[in-house]
Amino acid sequence: MENKFELVGKRPTVLTESKKRRTLRGKPVISVSFILVLILACSFCELFMPKDPTYMDLYNADAAPNGEFFFGTDAMGRDIFSMIWYGGRISLFIGFFATVISVFIAVIFGSISGLAPKWVDSILMRFTELLLSIPSLLLVILLQAIMGKANVLSISIILGLTGWMSMAKVVRSEVRQIRESEYVIAARCMGAGFWRIVWKHLAPNFVSSIMFMAVMNVRSAIVAESTLSFIGMGLPLEIISWGSLLSLAERSILSGSWWIIVIPGVFLVLTLLCLTNIGNHLRKAVNRKESNL
Amino acid sequence: MSEIILDVRNLTHHFGIGKKLSVKALDNVSFAVKKGEIFGLVGESGSGKSTVARCVMNILKPTSGEIFCEGINVLNPKEFKKNKKQLEASRQLIFQDSASSLNGRMTVREIVSEPMKIHKVKPPRGTFDAEAEFQLFYVGLDKSLLDKYPTELSGGMRQRVAIARALTMEPRLLVADEPISSLDVSVQAQIINLFAHLRCEHNCSILFIAHDLSVVRYLCDRVGVMCKGKLVELAPVEKLFASPRHPYTKALLSSIPIPDPRLERERVMEKFDYDPKLLSGKLREVSEEHFVLWGDEE
Amino acid sequence: MIRENPFVYYGKKLFVFLLSLFILSLAVFFISRLAPGDPLVSYYGDRVEKMSVEEREWAENKLGLNESLPVQYGRWAKNALCGDFGISYKYKMEASEVIGERIGNTLVLGGIGFLLTFVLALGLGILCAYYEDKWLDKLLCRVGTITSCIPEFWLSLVLILIFSVNLNLLPGSGAYSIGNKDDFGDRMLHLVLPLAVVVINHLWYYAYMVRNKLLEEVRAEYVLLGKAKGLSKRKIIFRHCLRNIMPSYLSLMAISVPHIMGGTYIIETVFSYPGIGKLATESARYKDYNLLMLICLISGAVVILCNIIAQIINERIDPRMRESRHIEEGEVAENGK
Repeated sequence: MENKFELVGKRPTVLTESKKRRTLRGKPVISVSFILVLILACSFCELFMPKDPTYMDLYNADAAPNGEFFFGTDAMGRDIFSMIWYGGRISLFIGFFATVISVFIAVIFGSISGLAPKWVDSILMRFTELLLSIPSLLLVILLQAIMGKANVLSISIILGLTGWMSMAKVVRSEVRQIRESEYVIAARCMGAGFWRIVWKHLAPNFVSSIMFMAVMNVRSAIVAESTLSFIGMGLPLEIISWGSLLSLAERSILSGSWWIIVIPGVFLVLTLLCLTNIGNHLRKAVNRKESNL
Repeated sequence: MSEIILDVRNLTHHFGIGKKLSVKALDNVSFAVKKGEIFGLVGESGSGKSTVARCVMNILKPTSGEIFCEGINVLNPKEFKKNKKQLEASRQLIFQDSASSLNGRMTVREIVSEPMKIHKVKPPRGTFDAEAEFQLFYVGLDKSLLDKYPTELSGGMRQRVAIARALTMEPRLLVADEPISSLDVSVQAQIINLFAHLRCEHNCSILFIAHDLSVVRYLCDRVGVMCKGKLVELAPVEKLFASPRHPYTKALLSSIPIPDPRLERERVMEKFDYDPKLLSGKLREVSEEHFVLWGDEE
Repeated sequence: MIRENPFVYYGKKLFVFLLSLFILSLAVFFISRLAPGDPLVSYYGDRVEKMSVEEREWAENKLGLNESLPVQYGRWAKNALCGDFGISYKYKMEASEVIGERIGNTLVLGGIGFLLTFVLALGLGILCAYYEDKWLDKLLCRVGTITSCIPEFWLSLVLILIFSVNLNLLPGSGAYSIGNKDDFGDRMLHLVLPLAVVVINHLWYYAYMVRNKLLEEVRAEYVLLGKAKGLSKRKIIFRHCLRNIMPSYLSLMAISVPHIMGGTYIIETVFSYPGIGKLATESARYKDYNLLMLICLISGAVVILCNIIAQIINERIDPRMRESRHIEEGEVAENGK
């Protein structure tokens, strides 16, 4: 008799994990700590750098990694180990600063477009789509050619100016969604100005959805900087960054000094990978509904 | 007491649907709210009550008509711009759903003091915090709620916070767009009493929008009945309940349940079949201060 | 919604295309005029320095440099419509000729790379969705995330280092060996490494897109119905789910043409592959504005065209999109109320 009716919806008891484990589970701990260590090491690199990264030790040019030069030296005899930390500073700075500029433009542009009447909105959106469709590298090259000789600031500004479009689109659609909500109307009735509405009422709502894009923006800015420097359109050799470090690599192919290519590249790729991991974590987890298959 | 604070004249609003269709949400609505009075606006859902509120608050721009708020024509862009600051302080709106009219990411303290910060008013009680505390006390909430977020409060508390926010600017006109219909009945009573109390203390006028007739009967001085975007009857509350003239009003009144079961059993529901003939014509005065929409042919 | 007359519809698209092209040309023209450097130099090259004052004036008159910018633009546009884009400063010949020589190489590299990416991404995406959360899917996801993080130029360098320098298997630069210009096999051999970079770099992004779209699709109710009917897993995916994601995949690919194109620009530079990408970076380095402008114009036109194609795919081919537009219009009416 007892087995005649089965209890529907009965769930097996799940053992809960300890609290500390639960808060850390699924979070990109390794990636975050790698980035933090990298930032710290780059900002305080003077404390442990064995060599002066700008000093050209021509007797030891193209030396393979050894006890004195941990990662070897480049064609001009500079110590790669020191240059990585020293140059990482500039690469990371460009990544973050360009992102700050992009986010700033995206928030303002997106909010204006989202709050504006329909026809203004569609004009602004066509404009962003037009900009978005131009290969950004070409745009950067064009701007860079106009701005003349590159330095850290100009390159960050150019990358910031060319990277805001997709974020602005997200901001705009979020704003469109909440602009009809009653608390925004209420704030308008109270006479709140544009900035106040954006900052107090809209921003807290879209900040989570652009966080992911901002992290990805850091990533693509770092890639763009290194690519530009590599093809000789970005930072000159004297300003050490991961990109300009790699720009010597083409010559080193012929001399077979693999460490000039591989070691800075591994650092670059690891950084990008960690940023991607963090970004993916920030993005809403894919719908984990049971598959119907 | 007969000074008029809000005068709505021939208000008409059409919503366009697509290119050819449009819906007449408001059709030639006129009424006036006197100083210190609670004016009720009742009607079924979709009858255009909220549209009136939104037009009065300049959220919507009506197709035609005039609205005077303390003698200022708020629909005239020039005049509105000139008096914008003053209007924004003296008119306040309370929404139906407090869950969505309060920003869920601000604390009660920030919400209540926001209007003062926007208008850069010096709080009468010294600091913003003291003012927020006072307003919360006034609407019957404890100051321990100041650092809570709206989602942590119950519906009644939230609505009180919304009222407190409106009160910080010492408004002369309060537009309450169905402020109680999302609340439980027991909480409704508290809020209604709060409104009655407000009128006595602040001497502010209230445009009270509701669909619950018994609430209107208890609270309001005069009532306007709306149906399909038209004002069909306008009368002091006692007169309206004693001798309704328009068939729609009659039908509406007959739908109020009577708390006595014996009488309730004998209650007859009157029907109103939205005869367009009964919804045309203009308001005529049938007795003192009692206006009814009456067709032309009679 | 009443369906528009196709002539009107495509006419509108054509109009949008021409308008965008016009705006693009305006932008390119004014930006190049903002650029530092004497336009005369970019037109006549070093000869400018030897010119006398009168000659200079004559030249400026001829080019219309002393007139207002809009007039200059009109003149430039007129010349451009006749196919005259000025002279390339570096190559000392017509800019259009210089590009004509190279564009074929870029089309081969970009086109084959695009097709390969397209097909492989679809296959990989289906594979991942089919084995969702199994080890294969997990492995592919990991590898994919890593490869998508590698910058193109570095990947190219590493591949050259391994296959060309150390193993000496494949050529690492150029489009053909010297003297072997017409040898098909030699050309293919030169294409292997650049193609590998193009594919590896973009593959995962699109494969992941396919995978996610398919997984979304698999959670739909109709799949349950198909399963109840007794269809096999393979049949459901290939016959039903795939058909539903195809239009959006196609339009995504149409939009992605510029991205893959932008990628080939860098790859061409690293492999010194004589295409317009290498030309673009070179002309930027040597301040060869006429050439750079033309390259920008061509790339921009391709991009605009691709976007319009994507729009047409979205609006015309996918019946659900048509439906959703219908619903959207209904929603607008609802909101208005």
